[in-house]
Amino acid sequence: MSNDILVITEHMDGKFSDVSFEMVGKAKELASALGGQAVAVVVGGGVSSNVFASDSTIHVDDAALSNFNPEAYGKVIEALVKEKSPKVVMFGWTVTGMDIAAWLSARTGAPLAAYAKDVRVEGGGIVVSSQAYGGKLMADVAPEGDMAIVACLAGSFPVEAGQGSTAATTMASPVDAGSLKVKFVEAIKPAGGDVDITAQAKLVSIGRGIGGKENVELAEELAKALGATVSASRPVVDAGWLPRTRQVGKSGLKVKPKLYLMLGISGAPEHLEGMKSAELIIAVNTDKKAPIFNVAHYGATADLFEVAEAMLELL
Amino acid sequence: MLTTIEKIIFIVLAITAAGFTFHGFKVIIDSIRKGRPAPELKDVPGSLVKAAIAVLFQQTIFKARKVLSAIHMGLFFGLITYAVVNLVDVLEGLVPGFELVYGGVHLPNAPTGLINAFNLIADVMSGFLLIAITTFLVRRFIVKDKALTFRDNVLLNPKVKAGGQARDSLTVGVFVIMHVGARLMSQAFRLTEGADPFMPIASFLNSIFGASETGVHVAWWISLGWVMFIIPYLSRSKHTHFFMSPVNLGLAKQNPRGQLDPAIPLKVIEGQKYDPGAKVIYDLAWTRVMDAYACVQCNRCQDVCPANFYQRPLSPSALEVNKRYLLKEATFGSHPEKLLLPLTETVISPEAVWSCTTCYACVRVCPVGNEPMADIVDIRRRMLIDGYEIDSGVQNALQSLATNGNWMSKGKRLRGRWAKEMEFPVKNATEEPVEHLWFVGDTASFDERVIPNTKMVARLFNQGGLDFGIMYQNESNSGNDVRRVGEEGLFEQLVEQNMAAFGKAQFKQIVTTDPHSFNTLKNEYPQFGGTFEVKHYTVTLLKLIEEGKLTIKNKLSNYKVTFHDPCYLGRYNGGFTAPRKLLELLGVEFVEMPRNCENSFCCGAGGGQIWMGKVAPGERPAENRIKEALTTFGEGANAKTQLFIVTCPKDMVMYSDAVKTTGNEGKIEVRDIIQLVAEAVGVEMPLEAEAVAA
Amino acid sequence: MNIVVAIKHIPSIADDLPVKGNNVDFDSVDFVLNEWDEHSIEQAVLIKEAVGGTVTVIGVDLIGELDNALHLALAKGADKVVKITADDPAADSHMQAKWLSEAIKGMGADMVFAGVQASNDLDGQIGPMIAAYLDMPYIGGVSSIEANGDSATVNKEFAGGAGAKYSVHMPFVAGVQSAPKPPRYAPVSKVRQMAQSATVEKVAPSGDASSGLAFKKMAPPVVTGHAEMIEGSSKEVAAKIVELLKSKGLA
Repeated sequence: MSNDILVITEHMDGKFSDVSFEMVGKAKELASALGGQAVAVVVGGGVSSNVFASDSTIHVDDAALSNFNPEAYGKVIEALVKEKSPKVVMFGWTVTGMDIAAWLSARTGAPLAAYAKDVRVEGGGIVVSSQAYGGKLMADVAPEGDMAIVACLAGSFPVEAGQGSTAATTMASPVDAGSLKVKFVEAIKPAGGDVDITAQAKLVSIGRGIGGKENVELAEELAKALGATVSASRPVVDAGWLPRTRQVGKSGLKVKPKLYLMLGISGAPEHLEGMKSAELIIAVNTDKKAPIFNVAHYGATADLFEVAEAMLELL
Repeated sequence: MLTTIEKIIFIVLAITAAGFTFHGFKVIIDSIRKGRPAPELKDVPGSLVKAAIAVLFQQTIFKARKVLSAIHMGLFFGLITYAVVNLVDVLEGLVPGFELVYGGVHLPNAPTGLINAFNLIADVMSGFLLIAITTFLVRRFIVKDKALTFRDNVLLNPKVKAGGQARDSLTVGVFVIMHVGARLMSQAFRLTEGADPFMPIASFLNSIFGASETGVHVAWWISLGWVMFIIPYLSRSKHTHFFMSPVNLGLAKQNPRGQLDPAIPLKVIEGQKYDPGAKVIYDLAWTRVMDAYACVQCNRCQDVCPANFYQRPLSPSALEVNKRYLLKEATFGSHPEKLLLPLTETVISPEAVWSCTTCYACVRVCPVGNEPMADIVDIRRRMLIDGYEIDSGVQNALQSLATNGNWMSKGKRLRGRWAKEMEFPVKNATEEPVEHLWFVGDTASFDERVIPNTKMVARLFNQGGLDFGIMYQNESNSGNDVRRVGEEGLFEQLVEQNMAAFGKAQFKQIVTTDPHSFNTLKNEYPQFGGTFEVKHYTVTLLKLIEEGKLTIKNKLSNYKVTFHDPCYLGRYNGGFTAPRKLLELLGVEFVEMPRNCENSFCCGAGGGQIWMGKVAPGERPAENRIKEALTTFGEGANAKTQLFIVTCPKDMVMYSDAVKTTGNEGKIEVRDIIQLVAEAVGVEMPLEAEAVAA
Repeated sequence: MNIVVAIKHIPSIADDLPVKGNNVDFDSVDFVLNEWDEHSIEQAVLIKEAVGGTVTVIGVDLIGELDNALHLALAKGADKVVKITADDPAADSHMQAKWLSEAIKGMGADMVFAGVQASNDLDGQIGPMIAAYLDMPYIGGVSSIEANGDSATVNKEFAGGAGAKYSVHMPFVAGVQSAPKPPRYAPVSKVRQMAQSATVEKVAPSGDASSGLAFKKMAPPVVTGHAEMIEGSSKEVAAKIVELLKSKGLA
């Protein structure tokens, strides 16, 4: 039983994601309040692990772990958690962290607070502020018991506070790769030929409000007139109206364009995660209470088709 | 007149022809009987008599194409006359001594006056017939009237594509000319004593060709021998129209226009199991199988079809034509297996099925009582059941309707949000009794662009002292368009939800702002036990003004307006007068567009089209309508503000859009009639309330 | 192939969510099927159509209104439906996952699917927890599953079309992000037919688990900023947006 904070970092193609640094920074703050250490945990090979400002870094370095494998990573982290008995385990609430955090909670009996926007120490324990119900509500929850798992939304804390150069202690994987039921086969690259929306200066982004795949053409026309590219929120992509390569958000891509023109996107937290640092955000939506209007720089309650068509005439 | 050997030949021919004709009609009747049970028809003899009168006076064709209709009338009377003439001619040929037609000398006791009259009518009608048929042949083959052709993207039976219809027309046209011509010649050849004043045309011909006993024989044979070949042919051509159209008209839909036939026959034949809607041709009600035999392929329905105008692959007449050819290939030809092919492969393309706006214009204009629109809805019904991949916009709307009771993916509880923003309390009709239960509808409840008008209606109702309430979250979409998209199960579910809500409420009548809701509440809910009085808000407003409960303070003489009849208020339910009366009372200058009332042109949003993507290029129906309005207003400077008045939330959306896309802003403005009433009456609204409302 | 799909009935976020005490006022909200569950049901039915087998859909009946979602699943091609009669609208993911795993345990499932997430997953998603309770491996963010013999080829998505292909030995639990095809539409008449003819198997909740989270507060988020709203007709809005873009050199 320690007062340490274990931060499960994540990396892909040799690079750590921003949320890893964000969590390390936050963990340091929590650790100092709780009188423990902020420990960064790196699972997998092929990555340089001494990049964190953590009090210490553990690197489970094994070639068999170089690609994300939810089963293997989960078992490694479970073993580590049992060994270290930390006060808090932090995950990113991301496409990889989501595979493990809840599993670990059920395995260990430690409570999980997901969708965390903030974590603070209160009366010797922690309190987590989480988004609930698609961002319609915020909940303050206090995990009970000796250990808590917190899964943080990307972009909740500053990145810089977690950047550093703490040297990592390397350890071998406690998991027998041969016994795994989940086997990595190959990486899937984005379908070739499509544009890289993260490299675009201007995006016209469409959401469920576009209504049907027949209407995507209108957005394409507007984008063309603006010299922009069409991107979309998850429902549009899930419905098959645009390819995955165009998806912005948690399970899509993070974009930082100069212009992000949103048509019919209400602004679910998962989407906001992918675009909130755009330089100019303009949102058109028929629902005047859409949460996107709390984030956008400019907004209009109007019919997206009418606005798009009228804009086309002016451009 | 005929020699014995001629008589024998003729009688053999006649018996053979009768045999073929009998067989032809037996095949047709058998095929009609294979259709599903149709909604029950009441007083069939009465309807048939009414239809016979309509046919006799050619009433139903004058709904469109007035000049051609007049020519059709000539053709019709000519053919009727000729039925008698032919009979007389045959008797003359066969019965020795029977000579009614010329001179009347040999028929004992025949008054000369009757004979002269008969001769005159026959002679003049022959002329009419020749003129009429020549006009029609010239129209089709020389002028090549485009109205008789189909768009390239319309699914057509290969035989139609190969010119089957034209061949049919030519065959019958040439027959009529030969038949009538020969008959005239036979009369001319008889005039041994020179001109007869009661036979001007025959006399003229006689002056050229003279009289000839042999000529009479030859001409008789050409005239009547032909008939023996053509009569059996008719039963195998589109000209079954001659016989089937009066019958079809007599057995046409009797239920209100706004009441669709059920997806499964209400009265089922014992032991028969029916899937909803229609996949193959005999899944259609028998009355609609018969439609194909009544149709003469005049394409009037295509003329008025908004989808066809919008260059979509839909032609209601092609649907009937294809049905006809399919039936012919299967019943007269050697392809009975074609009856089992899906209608979406044989008579109408899936894209065409989903282009229909269910505006009813095709059914309304059809002179013979056909219902192509009903077939389309039945085909949609089955496509939905069979899991055909439907338009994603429609699927989204249906899913939302099933979950939320509205198509706009809004939460149920948000339906009454606009009412809670009002400066006075709007009663909840499910909680306290009201006189008028206002059924608001989805667009008026949720669409931010339409809500200001919704609030205006509430204010005027309130100001007029109308005791009204709404059902808040208990109201569900009425299901009118859901049913027309073919989702019968969802329609029933929505009806049940609304009926449950009505059950909680106490009210005297229902008032609606949406013509689509109005239609189904009025015409279809009664089948589910919902018998209540339903009024459109234009009627309610008119009453408030006429009773002096709302007073017009400002006459709106600075407006020049025209009015668009929404399909579901006008053509479906005859609600033509209330909006016009209102406009009159408001003091505006009113002009009528050429296509008005029954003949109004659909905005293009009905039948689920509003849920679909804007796919097709080309001028949209709503754009065409705005242009029509502007043409009606006339060119040149108009000091008055020109307004396009609507009484349907969907129209507000469609036409506002069309004004912009046609670049006519500033020239014409789209307004809901409520906005004018509010302006004329002067709405008492506190300023701060206005700010809240905005 | 024996596929079990675990679904979640959740408060609809199409409405405003009223709060009572420190939680949602469950009496004043409508419950709907979690939208990702539509994809996991679709994925299960697609596999069944490809290789045969049975699809069982199971969920916790929190407010006694789960039947409609289960009938819908039947209409879309599920073979069997089960509800765990809990009558506890506040049951958290841990609780539901425990009840579900106890019910699924005896079903001999080759694969268990769940929606990758749900909007009320504050204490985690049921998928990974069912995997933990059943001691099966879990893989989430899945965009396609193909069954071949006793293993399956599973595509997991990372971002923007990038992902990885895994071979997973059965039995396992998958969190479905999206099915390879958009969920099909089930005509209501079919759903109603199911409602009349099909039987929903009822199971009493068994087992106990808890999120271990104490709710201290729940409230709508404090709005820190708001967009500058452009007023006027659509045409005016368009003109102002274009003007704005031009002034910033973006159009």
